[in-house]
Amino acid sequence: MAETELAQRAVAGVGTGLREIRWRRQVGEALPLAALVGLTAWCVVLQPAVWSVSGLTLLFQPAIPLVFAAVSQMFVIMVGDIDLGTGFFVGLVNAVTARYLTSDWLFVVGLLVAMIVGYGLAGALVQLRKIPSIIVTLGASFIWLGFGLVVLPIPGGTSPNWLLSLMNWQPSQFPAPLLFCLVIALCVYLITFRLSFGAAFRGAGSNPDALVRYGWSMLLIRMVCYALAGVFGILAGFALTGITASGDPNASANYTLLAIAAVILGGGEFAGGRAVPFGAVIGALSMSLVGTLLSLQNVPSSYQAGAQGLVLILVLAGRAITRRLEA
Amino acid sequence: MRALALVRNEAVARPWVWSLLAAVATWLAIVGVSGRGVGGTLTVAISIAPYLVIVGIGQMFVITLGNGNIDLSVPYNMSLAAFVSTEVIAGGHRSIALGFLVALACGLAIALANIIGITILLIPPIVATLATGLLAESATTVRASSLNVDVAQSLQNFTTANVGGITYLAFICIGLAVVAAVVLYRTTYGRAVRAIGQSLRAADFAGVRVTRTIMVTYILCAELAALSGVLLGAYVSPSLGIGDPYLLDSIAVVVLGGSLIAGGRSNVPGVWASSVFLILLGTFLNVVHISVAYQNVVKGALIIAVLALVGTGKESR
Repeated sequence: MAETELAQRAVAGVGTGLREIRWRRQVGEALPLAALVGLTAWCVVLQPAVWSVSGLTLLFQPAIPLVFAAVSQMFVIMVGDIDLGTGFFVGLVNAVTARYLTSDWLFVVGLLVAMIVGYGLAGALVQLRKIPSIIVTLGASFIWLGFGLVVLPIPGGTSPNWLLSLMNWQPSQFPAPLLFCLVIALCVYLITFRLSFGAAFRGAGSNPDALVRYGWSMLLIRMVCYALAGVFGILAGFALTGITASGDPNASANYTLLAIAAVILGGGEFAGGRAVPFGAVIGALSMSLVGTLLSLQNVPSSYQAGAQGLVLILVLAGRAITRRLEA
Repeated sequence: MRALALVRNEAVARPWVWSLLAAVATWLAIVGVSGRGVGGTLTVAISIAPYLVIVGIGQMFVITLGNGNIDLSVPYNMSLAAFVSTEVIAGGHRSIALGFLVALACGLAIALANIIGITILLIPPIVATLATGLLAESATTVRASSLNVDVAQSLQNFTTANVGGITYLAFICIGLAVVAAVVLYRTTYGRAVRAIGQSLRAADFAGVRVTRTIMVTYILCAELAALSGVLLGAYVSPSLGIGDPYLLDSIAVVVLGGSLIAGGRSNVPGVWASSVFLILLGTFLNVVHISVAYQNVVKGALIIAVLALVGTGKESR
């Protein structure tokens, strides 16, 4: 009798613990959403025309490449690494697609596969030789930039029509970019939370030793996570080509930091172990809105880089303070 | 097996020998391909090296701290220093010392922002220094738009003044490397830096003032970067993005020079040897008409390849 009672109590205890964790998590995920709503409201106040289907479409359309880039970055941060190559990788894909996609799509497919393999190998290098991910990805970023400049020494190129019409799709009932974002977040959610592999991804960041003892190969997990980062980086490059209808290997240089900021804003942890599909998407939308707000406020473009850096520091400072309050 | 182990031990004991050999090989390749003067090629490389050596030594101190410490604000710091010093000196209308002081003050501000991010907000150094770098980049863009003076002639003359083709600056920089080695291996501070890199916990238990050492190191690195920025600005005239190549290069000279990227072990002569090597490599790529685009690829691949071959010293533990 007493035993059952004890067991019941234990179960109840676990239950409240889980509830508390879940509650905290929900609050954690609600915060970036609140930030996004607040930023959107601010934009509407400054420019009332934003509050319409076409207005919201135009507001969020430029954010789509960054959303993909943030997801790409999330896969690397999830295993406890950081990718300093995101920006120039997106730039390389942007350049390749703008230059070759209309003329020689098979060549583009070949290149993209090679780039995904390259990303996977970078992951293998980090795992096997224990080289810090920043150095590998920083080195890789110069490789991406270099090839980007080889493909397109000066900005130019064009986008195939199907990509243009997809990215510029403007249905009159709802803002298409938000639908894209929802689809992206759901896909990433499925990968990270509904596949058994997804659990391994998240475990790889929080407790790699346990994962290895359970029979998973850290090498495989890191390679797959990096390859997935490559896949989403490629999607970011496609989206950028479709929106700008041209290529420029340098245009997306600041995506690296913006994507890191988006993931952290969305609840990601540098230590790894946390997958935040919805958070990363919302974080990316918010970071993009910060840029829009600055231009709506007539802040000179030379202050934009600094403002982005400042937002990242503020986000991280806020995180450090809330964590200290919780502890 | 035994011979292999011997080679390995030798490479571990004097890792900078490799970058020196690489430098010599590249030097000979340049002479062979272009038919340029044997001495001229080398003296030019040695004379351009100081800008990279100065900032590389700073980066080396930070990387020696280990635990993910790295300073990515260095290139933006250099650009800012180049612009503010030129603006303050105003073509020689104000004192050159004042220009240096203002640039060093900017460097100090950058270092303090890094320190606050890393030690108080507990942001990973990569992200904290990158964010600070963006702030500095904005400041540089703002200053650059209003810059309407030339570099002071006297300062420019100093950066090119030489004896036998080798600039005074290069000699001063050799002195700086000696001082850096003494600081690193003969002072309490230097021992603290290396101890933290080898094991932060052990260093902490041993009574090393960890936070203070980290603070001093970031200040040291930022000030060296600012100093290099002023000199570089005087040498080639400030332009936007003047410091950009030094993001990868400052890390490259540390890694190629035989310091451990994971921290704890550093190598001062290696910074000099690999700086000369990197510059000769750039010259070589130019001589064989490889575009700047591919030069980026080569440098990026080189760092990854060297690290993949040499490793980080953490695998065996």
